[in-house]
Amino acid sequence: MEIKHAPEYTPTELMIVISAREIEDGDLVFAGVGNPTLGALLARMTHAPSSLIATESGCIGPSPKRIMLGIGDNAGLENCIAVGSLWRLFSDQQRGFVDIGMVGGAQIDRFGNLNSTAIFGEGDYFTPAARLPGSGGANDIANCAKRTVISIPLERRRFLEKVDYITSPGFLTGGDARAKAGLPGGGPSAVITDKCIFRFHPETKEMMLVSVHPGTTVEDVQQQVPWKLLLADEVTVTPAPTAEEVAMIRALDEDGIYTGTGLKTLTFDRYIEMLERSLAQFSE
Amino acid sequence: MPDTAGKALPLQDDKKKTDKRMTLHDAVAAYVQDGGSIVFSGMGGAQCVAHAYEIIRQKKKGLTLIGDSPCDAGDMLMGAGVLKRAELAWCGYAVAGLGPNYRRIVEKKIPHEMELIDYSNYTIGLRLMAGAMGLPFLPTRSLLGSDLMTYNKDIKQMDDPYTGEPVALVPAVHPDVALIHCSRADIHGNAQIFGFTANAENAARAAKRCIITCEEIVDTDVIRQHAHATCIPGYAVDAVVHLPFACHPWNFPYDYAYDIPFHGEQTRAFKTREGFLAWLDEWCFGTKDHEEYLDKVGRERLAKLKDIEQKFCPKHW
Repeated sequence: MEIKHAPEYTPTELMIVISAREIEDGDLVFAGVGNPTLGALLARMTHAPSSLIATESGCIGPSPKRIMLGIGDNAGLENCIAVGSLWRLFSDQQRGFVDIGMVGGAQIDRFGNLNSTAIFGEGDYFTPAARLPGSGGANDIANCAKRTVISIPLERRRFLEKVDYITSPGFLTGGDARAKAGLPGGGPSAVITDKCIFRFHPETKEMMLVSVHPGTTVEDVQQQVPWKLLLADEVTVTPAPTAEEVAMIRALDEDGIYTGTGLKTLTFDRYIEMLERSLAQFSE
Repeated sequence: MPDTAGKALPLQDDKKKTDKRMTLHDAVAAYVQDGGSIVFSGMGGAQCVAHAYEIIRQKKKGLTLIGDSPCDAGDMLMGAGVLKRAELAWCGYAVAGLGPNYRRIVEKKIPHEMELIDYSNYTIGLRLMAGAMGLPFLPTRSLLGSDLMTYNKDIKQMDDPYTGEPVALVPAVHPDVALIHCSRADIHGNAQIFGFTANAENAARAAKRCIITCEEIVDTDVIRQHAHATCIPGYAVDAVVHLPFACHPWNFPYDYAYDIPFHGEQTRAFKTREGFLAWLDEWCFGTKDHEEYLDKVGRERLAKLKDIEQKFCPKHW
């Protein structure tokens, strides 16, 4: 069957599509708030119908007819297979049941260590230039999920030789440092940005450029990264989203709450209408 | 060692009362003491918003907040000057934005300095679980290799005495008061949650005092019909408060949908200190209690949130 590519799409939509492609059918997916939950929903509607989404509040395997507006949204338990506790779900992860965890951060280094705690700036941990929300469950996911997928925009202020604070360990100092520290999960398998995709060298565990998105060059990527980029043997071009994938994202997030600035102008009546439309569309 | 950690605290006599019904005002006034520690139920939704407003209304001071990922119940308490210390994994409004008061108190010490101790969601859960089990600590494979261990001296690392592999240890926590919102409860405090429980069952047991609030008060016979949903038995409970729509603007499973447009307005107001204080004047100090807050939100709006939720996730009991 011929694949029909979307005539136009946004960088955010492409990131959601790529994160969906990282999910394999049958995976138990630990998805945080935001674009990763859209990616996980998209995967379920396309190539991975048997994958299960888990959210930190304790909901497992929902099949919602609306966008999930957070990790404790009611959509997380809509038509789900189990609803329980946070400690049980995270214990299941520590036991090794979670196949893939979706994480993000404000800063990342070449071994995939992430900071979502604080940007120190001229200050320090105690008086930072910018305090971020904190780990939430990200540290737990980074340490114990079988693999993680990181989503982060490719910007020079985010890609650093050394992050200010390691909230979510990647491969620490590289090589076998992660296993030596006692972390049971496999660590990051991909870093998805708005310009390219990185994976990690099998031995040194250094970040490695594997593909650039349509319209981006290797040089464009190098400009945003302070260290000399490690390139895969063959750097490919990321396949563009299909028309079907983009249509599904737009149906799920019609008002652009995640994918745009829809929340700024969303009125109560429009919101209720959006939910009604979503229910009707996905009940068909 | 934090003053909230350590040995199991003696349980209190009010747990033996037969009829534990109180108003939110009276329960907060009786049990939440200046200088004490508190924990709320909820996780990324089902947040204890009415409870946070009442604590602010009563101008409580010097509290320590223990929490996995509090939203309004973290950010607003910080902005209102209620907290001297917070032991948290996360604080913000998720899709509706960052926590402006959280940022101001950490970055600029506004309205005053607050001691902040970082944990992760699971390890706050393990601390409450250790507290609920009457044990001093629990080991975990979280935290290892991260800077949470660098800056939080209460997290210890040791080699597992059986295998020699490294594990992190987190101390038990016994908050003075747990405030837990449930689907329904009887007058004895037998409390049922039909949605996710997050850390509620352990928070209720770890704490010295437990205040149950609920969408509905029912007969014990009704509780008995769905005994599997009882996550907190009355023997762990001091007070029962009937508190419908306690989580607004947040969702509560099988009851009402998330009022995200309201939250968008709220977080936009919170962007400046003045905007936050004006919001408190209007929505917290300007209302006598939660019922007045709900009147101000609008009964018709609340009914719509309830109706739409029933279309997606109808009550099945």
